[in-house]
Amino acid sequence: MRTSRLMGWLLVAYGCAVLAFLYLPLVSVGLASISKARYLTFPIRRYAYDWYGEALASDTVRDLLLVSLKVAGIVTVLSMVIGFLGALAFARYSWRFRKAYQKLILLPIFFPQTVLGLALLMWFNTVGIIPSWKTAVVAHLVWIAPIATLVISIRAYSFDPALEEAARDMGATTWDTLREVTIPLLMPGVISAGLFAFLLSWGNFPLSLFTTGADSTLPEWLYAKMVSGYSPLVPTVGILTVGTSAVLLALGLTAALIFKRARAARNA
Amino acid sequence: MGDQPILRINALTKRFNEFTALHGIDLNVRDGEFLAIVGPSGSGKTTLIRLLVGMDEPTEGAIWLRDSRIDAVPANKRPTCMVFQSLALFPHRSVGQNIEFPLKLRKVAPATRKARALELLELLRLPASYYDKRIDECSGGEKQRVALARALAFDPEILFFDEPLSALDYRLRKTLEKELKDLHRRTGKTFIYITHSLEEAMVMSDRIAIMKAGRFEQIAPAAEIYARPRSRFVAEFMGEVNLFDMVDGRVPGLRFGPRASNLFVGQTGTLVVRPESVALLAPGEEADVALEGIIESEYLLGSRVQYTVAREGAAPVTVEVLRENAVGGPGAPVVMGFGTSACHLIAPEARDAAA
Ligand SMILES: Nc1ncnc2c1ncn2[C@@H]1O[C@H](COP(=O)(O)OP(=O)(O)O)[C@@H](O)[C@H]1O
Ligand SMILES: [Mg+2]
Repeated sequence: MRTSRLMGWLLVAYGCAVLAFLYLPLVSVGLASISKARYLTFPIRRYAYDWYGEALASDTVRDLLLVSLKVAGIVTVLSMVIGFLGALAFARYSWRFRKAYQKLILLPIFFPQTVLGLALLMWFNTVGIIPSWKTAVVAHLVWIAPIATLVISIRAYSFDPALEEAARDMGATTWDTLREVTIPLLMPGVISAGLFAFLLSWGNFPLSLFTTGADSTLPEWLYAKMVSGYSPLVPTVGILTVGTSAVLLALGLTAALIFKRARAARNA
Repeated sequence: MGDQPILRINALTKRFNEFTALHGIDLNVRDGEFLAIVGPSGSGKTTLIRLLVGMDEPTEGAIWLRDSRIDAVPANKRPTCMVFQSLALFPHRSVGQNIEFPLKLRKVAPATRKARALELLELLRLPASYYDKRIDECSGGEKQRVALARALAFDPEILFFDEPLSALDYRLRKTLEKELKDLHRRTGKTFIYITHSLEEAMVMSDRIAIMKAGRFEQIAPAAEIYARPRSRFVAEFMGEVNLFDMVDGRVPGLRFGPRASNLFVGQTGTLVVRPESVALLAPGEEADVALEGIIESEYLLGSRVQYTVAREGAAPVTVEVLRENAVGGPGAPVVMGFGTSACHLIAPEARDAAA
């Protein structure tokens, strides 16, 4: 009883610490975004909300949002497709080089992203590709597709391989099995992989820095402005960035929930 | 129907790299038969069934279904169906959708499908309301029935089972054994049933194939296997048994009467006697074969008593008698005997031969 109460307090303290370290900085960025001063000071003495209006009206910000959305959107879709097929190869089918593949696919995740970004930039240069947001998509994929593969593989490992064999035994073709068994069972994994992919791409800085060329994503712009030319527009855009990912995360989770409901309804 | 076997297996061999899981086995299965394949774990039962339904390819040998050779036909083109050890029910589908799955693949109209699913629910004694249930809402025994219903919806020529009851508790297993046997009779289909439980095989099957290390040791009706095992392995697998090594018509420690002496003259092999065939002899009572020892321990088995009798310079003997014939407890000296008709001699060359 005593220890469990102590445990309880420790957990509460831990929770508070996590909240403090995770969200206080975010709150301070939020506060900074409504500061009236032209430079970064704390605490804030005067407030103004004009920066939000300015941010939303600004062409620069609109372009930034567009580039970031394009990159993250395409990376998400491709990661889901690559991750799905990759997970089948990773977890479902036994083939000759599976062991090697399982190790190789983990490699990019453990590579420091700055090094990965630099390496890719050098490679693009060697091949003669001019870096743009499109090369950033490729760079993000190199890092994110393996993560999506792992997320979906975990799901793939958790269901009985006999399910697919049973389908086949009852006359299902490869395509029937995929449609009736594999895809529906992997779907929750594919949706979480998609959410991961979006958030990782949307917030990525090191890979984008090296590979976007003349284009710029939101995190890159935030950094550049932080280094020189700070204005309250910087935290404003920062908060908008967080807001967008929160909205998309909520949408994604709703989609997952709707998917689940729909299935339950179909079953009922 | 008829004498032609529905399934013929010829010199079937399966190797996994260097390891040979099946050593060129042969088997004929009659149409409508309930065949149980029994063997200890790792003896190759699952490997065999996977070859038969087409989930794996044999290394050598042929499989015939009636007049057509099927060993190269993929699983989804074979008219066979298997109930998995894990049952393999689709967790994302309702009970009804699970049962209708094979019909859906054949593009049967939804209304017809549903009618058939409801019929099968009734056949398996599940309420029609289960049609809409989720799989994870079913108990172990209900899942079992759903898996069976799904397999029957497929309407296979041969229905295979890979230890489907092994995860259930004793009482439910007993109930389902009876139901399965009943279902076999009502559907008239050929059932091939794998189990490591001999008891299960004896309750349900017409014939039992005993498997050991990738070979069949004996294929025969239960009663025959019990009375005339072909090898020590089979004899021991069929339950408690006494084995005596006979060399040139003699077994050390056994006294043969005239009938036994004549019968066993010059014979070499293993003499098999079931514990319940051994009687405790009253003083002066005679038997074809007699032996003596001292009771070491005693177990009560309901209406019967089982004794372990120690013998000088030989392995102990197990004797099982009715409770009313019980004699004293541990320490008591006893004379035991059995008739020549109650024992069976295994020839030495039959020991390792495949059936
Ligand atoms: N895919 C495989 N690769 C290698 N060895 C296998 C494979 N499948 C089964 N075996 C081996 O074959 C033998 C028989 O296995 P199995 O047919 O599953 O036995 P049972 O079903 O009688 O318990 C076992 O020794 C097992 O290790
Ligand atoms: Mg097995």
